[in-house]
Amino acid sequence: MKLRRAPSDPTGESILPMIDVVFFLLVFFMIIGRMDATAPFEVDPPITDVGADLPGGGITLAISADGAVALDGQEVSPGIMLDSLAERIAADPAVRIRINADARAPLGRVLPLVGWLEDTGAEDVVLVVSPGRS
Amino acid sequence: MRLDRQRGAQGTRLITLVPLVDAMLILLIFFMVTSTFLDLDMMPLTEAETPADSIETVTAEGAAAGSSGTVLLRLTADGLVVLRGERLSPPELLGPLRSAIGARTDVPVVVLPSRQAQVQALVTVMATATAAGAGAVRVLRVETAP
Repeated sequence: MKLRRAPSDPTGESILPMIDVVFFLLVFFMIIGRMDATAPFEVDPPITDVGADLPGGGITLAISADGAVALDGQEVSPGIMLDSLAERIAADPAVRIRINADARAPLGRVLPLVGWLEDTGAEDVVLVVSPGRS
Repeated sequence: MRLDRQRGAQGTRLITLVPLVDAMLILLIFFMVTSTFLDLDMMPLTEAETPADSIETVTAEGAAAGSSGTVLLRLTADGLVVLRGERLSPPELLGPLRSAIGARTDVPVVVLPSRQAQVQALVTVMATATAAGAGAVRVLRVETAP
């Protein structure tokens, strides 16, 4: 009896479902991951349980433990930072300004900045915190 | 010499998909490695749209115009909190602060921080004040006279 061999699949192994899975994972990570401007230096936010949900967008001000400042991920001098902030607040006073201060940063670097932002007309200034570890 | 080529039933050359999978996997691993998932919250600092139990910054004049039941906390540079003359560490603050606030729900708590104190110390004090039942927590910002 002559058994005929089943014709081999001309396309090789079917990898289309694998492509679907890979694309799904890729889109999944792209969507749920929030692309935020990170600071050029290390910033560990203070830990507390009383924070509210932080939406994305707005202006991010990072303040390191030794007082260095970064505006939207770029380290800048205080003068340039203040000028840039004044322009953006004048254009949109309701823009959310997120202050991402290191937990060890001195308040003398943070509170005067908050006061200046209020005096300049900023209406929405928030401090970025991290929820307590349970 | 016979060269094997992938050909479909009609003899047309098919697109090789294996390199596409490699590219997708590389991109996927790239996103998995480079992106960090940050679990972040926020504490509002401005007065405009904050509810009664959030944090506001006011000048010394604004705090003095508050209610007579205001509780004043002074945060020192070394992270200790002074309540009615008693120096307390942040973990020890909750009980005395609850006693100072009592059963009232509209008692504002004003925090006067040292400029050398750390942000974490201030946030801890504000969280403790909220847990103790403060109606509103305000941070004093001392301004120099013109």
